[in-house]
Amino acid sequence: MIQKQNSPIQRGWLRRNALPLLLFAFLVLFPFIVGAITDSSPYGVVRGDRMIMRGESVRWQSVLIEAYILIILAMSYNLLFGFTGVISFGHALFFGTSGYVLGLMLEYTAIDTTLALFVGAALGIVLCGVLALVIGFVTLRLKGVYFAIFTLAVAEMFYIFFSRWQLTRAEDGFAITELPAWLDPSQSRINFYYLSLAAVILTFVFIRRLVNSPSGAVFKAIRENEDRAQSMGYNTLNYKLLSIMFAGMLAGVAGLLQVILNKKVGPELLGVSYTVDPLLMTIIGGIGTFTGPVIGAGGLHFLDVFLRDAQINLGGVVIDIANIWALLLGVIFILAVIVFPFGIVGTWQRWQARRHRHPEKPLPDAAAGQD
Amino acid sequence: MTPILEVRDIHTFIGQFHILEGVSATVHTGGITVLLGRNGAGKTTTLRSIMGLTPPTRGSILLDGTPIHGKQAHTIAQMGVGYVPEHRAIFRSLTVLENLRLAERKKGDFAHQADFIFELFPDLKRLIELPGGNLSGGQQQMLAVARALVPENRLLLIDEPSEGLAPVIIEQLIAAIQRLSGQVSVLLVEQNFRVASKLGQNYVIIDSGHSALDGRMADLVKDQALIQRYLGVA
Repeated sequence: MIQKQNSPIQRGWLRRNALPLLLFAFLVLFPFIVGAITDSSPYGVVRGDRMIMRGESVRWQSVLIEAYILIILAMSYNLLFGFTGVISFGHALFFGTSGYVLGLMLEYTAIDTTLALFVGAALGIVLCGVLALVIGFVTLRLKGVYFAIFTLAVAEMFYIFFSRWQLTRAEDGFAITELPAWLDPSQSRINFYYLSLAAVILTFVFIRRLVNSPSGAVFKAIRENEDRAQSMGYNTLNYKLLSIMFAGMLAGVAGLLQVILNKKVGPELLGVSYTVDPLLMTIIGGIGTFTGPVIGAGGLHFLDVFLRDAQINLGGVVIDIANIWALLLGVIFILAVIVFPFGIVGTWQRWQARRHRHPEKPLPDAAAGQD
Repeated sequence: MTPILEVRDIHTFIGQFHILEGVSATVHTGGITVLLGRNGAGKTTTLRSIMGLTPPTRGSILLDGTPIHGKQAHTIAQMGVGYVPEHRAIFRSLTVLENLRLAERKKGDFAHQADFIFELFPDLKRLIELPGGNLSGGQQQMLAVARALVPENRLLLIDEPSEGLAPVIIEQLIAAIQRLSGQVSVLLVEQNFRVASKLGQNYVIIDSGHSALDGRMADLVKDQALIQRYLGVA
């Protein structure tokens, strides 16, 4: 009898990736696990010939979808800031632009909804890449704060434009009424949950492969010292353009998911919070690490979910967290920076390296990107 | 010998400061020329100007007769100029292997030069998987020089290789740089006169942003008054 055996290489791979694989399995089964615990259907409630998106499982799918969107946004920001060392204050530009393109395609064109969805998504992502290249080409010769200020100015310009453009109903924005049923979160949340999960995993894998490629080594070289990279023969502008293009396109993917989830397009998508939030999430999670933005974005989102509507009773005085949420977030950020000066993942890596230190064993740099 | 590099009366500003006020220097093919001068004389700025990192506003720089002033640093590097900056300028978060691979100008450069590099610096072979930031000062300096040897360079600009290193490591570096001469031309900035005199065939003294003197190193070592006057060492 022939017995099939896994090779040592396969077993080694499985052992090394046991935790991510378990997490992946958990996230795939998540709607069903919550459904089993709370006695609710992951598909929603049947009402006549329609499904109504009610119940704990469906609600928690939304919470996770929001987390996935923020994680993709933070990972895209980390590619630019954490791995290439380019700080931008205009990341929301890409998030909002792709959202508007998709919304316009779905609501303002007379083509089939599914076709409009795919064309809108593709156009949105491509436009984000082109915008990133144009902005980068014009401004990446500027260094540090000048580049950051320029990106902020461009993002604000778009924000003001869309706040006043009557076609997109100015500040009110417009609702998306045309979505294919198989993707519509108000008809089939679970399908959209799996699409978002696939997007976050693909983004993670893509960034990891890119950063570990020869181009990724140049990104890291630029982050450490651009002059040095240039004097080795690298046209650093081209590599920075590559980084901002991919970062812009991935932020565009997050923007598409946000628009589909909320079924609404408005200028808030271009607001400064979609730049500041991924920046904070990246710093708290760990700049220049792969899992840092995942932990930073996921952690802050869950804090938001659990604490925002909570009330604290202090000696008879009831404090509504919703009223002081922004203040509390500021305190959390200050504490996180003090306790984890290299972000949660970065500080953890340094602590681990110190614990298992060998005379020639590395102590990771602040932004070593090894996780 | 024909010159591989001719620097003619270059003037360089950093911000509003006029750092180089007329520096000229010549490096002959296959030889080692040392730039000497006190702290702040403009030696590093001269190398950075040649490399295109702080471009000169006046004067000319010719590589094998071709003007390179006004070109960007990456273009100058691609023309065959290797630069080893001061302060052991390696990439700390990349491993030794990644640092060396990053220096490839075309695929296979590192594989082609690996034996020669590891013969010069055997320590690097042992440390190949370690991040550069975890090497000792001497090992980092060896890596910085080794990186410049990966692609086929015509000229190496090396800035203060012995700075802050233990004597035994300095001897190792001297031996390595001596072995390089003949294969590649070198313009070396070196504060340590003992090291400079061992390595250089020719010298250029820079004083307050001007090139004050040049000639054969063998003549300079005999002239203690000159050494005292320009370099402050006896």
